[in-house]
Amino acid sequence: MLDQLVQGFAVAVTPQNLLFVLIGVLAGTVIGILPGLGPMSAIALMIPIAYGMDPTSAIIMLAGVYYGAIFGGSTSSILLNAPGVAGTVATSFDGYPMARQGKAGKALAIAALSSFTGGTIGVVGLMMIAPSLASFAVSFGPTEYFALMVLGLTAVVSLAGRDLVKGLVSAVVGVMVALVGIDSQTAITRFTFDLPELFEGVEFLIVALGVFALAEVLVMLNRRGRGGARGGVTSLRLSGRELARITPPTLRSGVLGFFTGVLPGAGATVASFLSYSTEKRIAKDGATFGRGNPKGVAAPESANNAAAVGSFVPLMTLGVPGSGTTAILLGALLVLGVQPGPLMLTDNPDMFWGLVASMYIGSAVLLVLNLPLIPVFAKVLKTPKAVLIPLVVVFCVVGVYGLSFSVFDLGLLTAFGVVGFLMRQNDFPAAPMILGLILGGLMEKSMRQALQISGGDWSVFVTEPISAALVALAVLSMVPSLVRAVRERVAGRSAAGVAAASAGRGAEEDSDRAESLRS
Amino acid sequence: MRRITSPFPSRPGTGLTRARALRLAAAAAVLPLAVAACGESGGTTDADGAWEPNRPIEITAPAATGGGWDTLARTSARLLESEGLVDQSVQVVNKPGAGGAIGWAYVAGREADPHTLFVTSPPIILVPMAGDSEYDHEDFTPIARLATDYMVYLVPADSEMETFDDLVETVDAGGANIGGGSGPGSMDHVALAGAVNAAGGDAAGISYVPFDGGGEAMTALLGGHVDAAVAGASEAAGMLEAGELRALAISSPEPVAAYPDVPTLLDQDVDFTFDIWRGVMAPAGLEEAQVAYYEDLFAELMETEAWQRESASLGWTDAYQNSDDFGAFLDERRSEFTEILTEVGLQ
Repeated sequence: MLDQLVQGFAVAVTPQNLLFVLIGVLAGTVIGILPGLGPMSAIALMIPIAYGMDPTSAIIMLAGVYYGAIFGGSTSSILLNAPGVAGTVATSFDGYPMARQGKAGKALAIAALSSFTGGTIGVVGLMMIAPSLASFAVSFGPTEYFALMVLGLTAVVSLAGRDLVKGLVSAVVGVMVALVGIDSQTAITRFTFDLPELFEGVEFLIVALGVFALAEVLVMLNRRGRGGARGGVTSLRLSGRELARITPPTLRSGVLGFFTGVLPGAGATVASFLSYSTEKRIAKDGATFGRGNPKGVAAPESANNAAAVGSFVPLMTLGVPGSGTTAILLGALLVLGVQPGPLMLTDNPDMFWGLVASMYIGSAVLLVLNLPLIPVFAKVLKTPKAVLIPLVVVFCVVGVYGLSFSVFDLGLLTAFGVVGFLMRQNDFPAAPMILGLILGGLMEKSMRQALQISGGDWSVFVTEPISAALVALAVLSMVPSLVRAVRERVAGRSAAGVAAASAGRGAEEDSDRAESLRS
Repeated sequence: MRRITSPFPSRPGTGLTRARALRLAAAAAVLPLAVAACGESGGTTDADGAWEPNRPIEITAPAATGGGWDTLARTSARLLESEGLVDQSVQVVNKPGAGGAIGWAYVAGREADPHTLFVTSPPIILVPMAGDSEYDHEDFTPIARLATDYMVYLVPADSEMETFDDLVETVDAGGANIGGGSGPGSMDHVALAGAVNAAGGDAAGISYVPFDGGGEAMTALLGGHVDAAVAGASEAAGMLEAGELRALAISSPEPVAAYPDVPTLLDQDVDFTFDIWRGVMAPAGLEEAQVAYYEDLFAELMETEAWQRESASLGWTDAYQNSDDFGAFLDERRSEFTEILTEVGLQ
């Protein structure tokens, strides 16, 4: 393998290919920073450019756009609460609170470092075990995906924050939004009100931009006059202790993210949520997740980059795209006359190993490019509110319009902005809603596929080994949070002394404020 | 020209240059829209009755960037320009949504505009039949059918099934889950039900499992989660070549050179063919000269070496039909699909 990798570097380090890595990751970063404009459309639009190129150079460049975009997407999540790409929504949960506390530089540095680490873990995985992972990828059928999504959804319990009921309500609303559109299993339209614009469902990024970024704008406007106390930009330097704190979550999330990315039905977004909630659960300071805990930035950032690399496994070893973006990459490869599939590694070793080597180089280039730029990006926060607010609105509107060229979607964006604002005013967390929206649709689809296959027999979910293990894990993972919630409620009832209550009120309001900042 | 004021209050010191730059940027952004808005129909018809476009041609892909329609639209647009077949520029416009219905409504609203085309394939028949589009193929002018691909009926390499009849027997015995890449009543399901029906099997009894795309269906097949799958031949090419999956039959009228070992349904005495055809249509109300211009244009395009090379790598087989033949072909397909969907109880 080592000599193959050396061969790969020989392919990737030609001046021409180095240039394409650079172009790819640069374009990707910029595209990732702009909300709405995702790697999918960027790669589709670059196919004509790639057409005249050598296929290896082309795939090196297009792959660079992909992981570059996932890398860059965190910047707008952290600074503006406007996720640049779907995979970085979870980054805003802690990244934006950090930025508000004046730690934008640190948050961006953590994002860059953990992205780099996650990406590297992914590349090592791709290199070492890609061929043997093909069987892992296909071992997940509808039954297993359903169980995986159930496990993911249990994160609601930990994302809900102080009020579990409000968290569950929010998650259910998210699942309901996921049901809008033509049902993939019966071809019947659901909750579309005969509006053709809703036939394909509600685009996830519209909801995310609405309930996070636009709602934030409305909150800022609502506080007019009181002057949003936006923290300045501290240094991006991380102390040794901080690094030590984020290292274990980064490494764990990188591995988890890679394996999630390998599954054709999951991808970077699911990976980032899974790792975020896993880390929140196992961390000693899990309660501070959502209020600017650096681990909450490191985990999803490491996972989404590892997953982006992981999604190349089914593409390269099976010829099956694991995500929308890799589907377009597959199209690009076909146009270039390369047929990815089980024979790719034997037929086109130069391309595979060249790509692997270019990913090492690309990750390093991203880190070197982005670290010096952090102070520049972070200056965004010093922008006066009168400029920043319209800027965020323009970002959201352009992003959503660029996605679909549909004015209807702009209406949806506004509607979700208002919904998000009302949720914030009433202390409903937005994160569970987003989680329900992402996982709910996948969960419903796989559940019904599984039942179609089993002939309506529900027991498959607990008799298939992988699925049974995941369901058991899901149940177990809820126990500690539920016990805590019940215990707190009981304790809260018994300590209902008037003086204690009024003293507690102030503290509660403070933490509520922090909570609402998060969502 | 309308004066565009800067969206930002101008501040002393930085005011002049920044405001001007913004104004220029805004003007540049508005300009193409303004140009596109003026000039309605148009084009020039000369003394012999021949017509030529006089402004940029727009090819609508009624889907997002990256899909099959988008690929066809962008490939055609790029080759029409690079091969020097048109004097005007050719632009691709994506109008995704509602399985194509949003894009069709957009094109339908440009009646008699000879500078608008759109790329199309079987969903233009199937989506309206499902009641999800207000417009169907009769609301547009067929220009040309360009290329086609076929369906393959797949099983794992080690499956006991050898022929399409084996599959039908398993279906009739109630022992097969068959995956496909699209919803019930759409392309993959129709191609499967039609073939089973033609082979004398019980098409309504198929346990059809819809996935998001042929790739997912084939992954489920590889993992043993379903027993068979139906997918586009070009999608399955890699798996077939590697010997991971085996095709029981292909839906083409004649064996396809790329898959010499795969027998057609007709070879197995199943009287059924299915085309995943791809074509170009225009809004209703085009003049004869305008239709003739585009018919010739696409016929020329398909003769170029570049088209031959690219369509082969995408797994398309040339299947040119001119406007009249294409229109008749569409009508036939619709009655055939109606029959199949009635058979499985979806119509």
